[in-house]
Amino acid sequence: MDIKEKIVEAAIEIFSSMVMMDVSVSEEEVNDSGKLKDTITGLIGLAGTHKGVLAIHIPHPVAMAITSNFLGIDVTEINEDVEDAVGELANMMGGNVKTVLTGNGRDIDLSLPSTISGASYQFQTSKDVEKVVVRFDTAHGPFLVELQLEK
Amino acid sequence: MENDDFKLDQEIVAATKDVFSTMVMMELEDGPPLIGKGGEIQSNISSMLGLGGGVRGVLAIHCPADVAKGITGAFLGMDIEELNDDVKDAIGELTNMVAGNLKVFFANFDIDVKLAIPTTVIGESYHTSGLFGATRIVVPFCCANGTFWIELKYMRSN
Repeated sequence: MDIKEKIVEAAIEIFSSMVMMDVSVSEEEVNDSGKLKDTITGLIGLAGTHKGVLAIHIPHPVAMAITSNFLGIDVTEINEDVEDAVGELANMMGGNVKTVLTGNGRDIDLSLPSTISGASYQFQTSKDVEKVVVRFDTAHGPFLVELQLEK
Repeated sequence: MENDDFKLDQEIVAATKDVFSTMVMMELEDGPPLIGKGGEIQSNISSMLGLGGGVRGVLAIHCPADVAKGITGAFLGMDIEELNDDVKDAIGELTNMVAGNLKVFFANFDIDVKLAIPTTVIGESYHTSGLFGATRIVVPFCCANGTFWIELKYMRSN
């Protein structure tokens, strides 16, 4: 089973049903999230039969658009609402991914979600980790989903 | 799961000092813990590790650049000039070890905590956030190179 395909499926499902936003997989292949600028990252850990981290790296304008859709109000700055929305997105993606990895999702536990936000930062991989990064396009800009799994 | 019942602030101090004295050979002085929201932490490198199962949480070590380089230098026994892969791996590994001590601590109460993997953020300008209903404890530690912070956010699972 191709994990990248499953990440794509999960993202499209969540964005269409919960965020009411059209997303598509970008033509551009990405291997690394790289230097993130004016971005907010939602992340959640996976523990159990599979150990890893799922991260969703969203440029600020896209994050504000997502939050506006979630809350039905106009969001114009990176505030607590945006942090909550992005963390919740990571939580939902994590939930989908763990079910994909184990069939029933019962043997993997999700950690508490977290968010990182800033003008300039880089998200690093540990050693002995398999990494998949997928770039998505939306009307407001792109975002990345990154899944790291311990080998 | 109140901090009062588990005295997690004290356990964080014990868990961290244990790792730093045995693996880094570094003396630490703990400062007063901050329990709850607030408290901006200024750091250039943060390693975060998720906890799942009996407790849902995140453990993080936040260091300014110089402190991270000093800690890594002591850990690896060499001079560290910049925030490179060695620093990223070292701080990540230390986070893993402190989390390991917390796992053992919770096991004493028959609470099974599963660890995810550490990820490290390095940057000029970022902040970490998100409480999601959890309780937050931040403990500052003073070492020869300066201050760093251990942050634990946690909630009991059903």
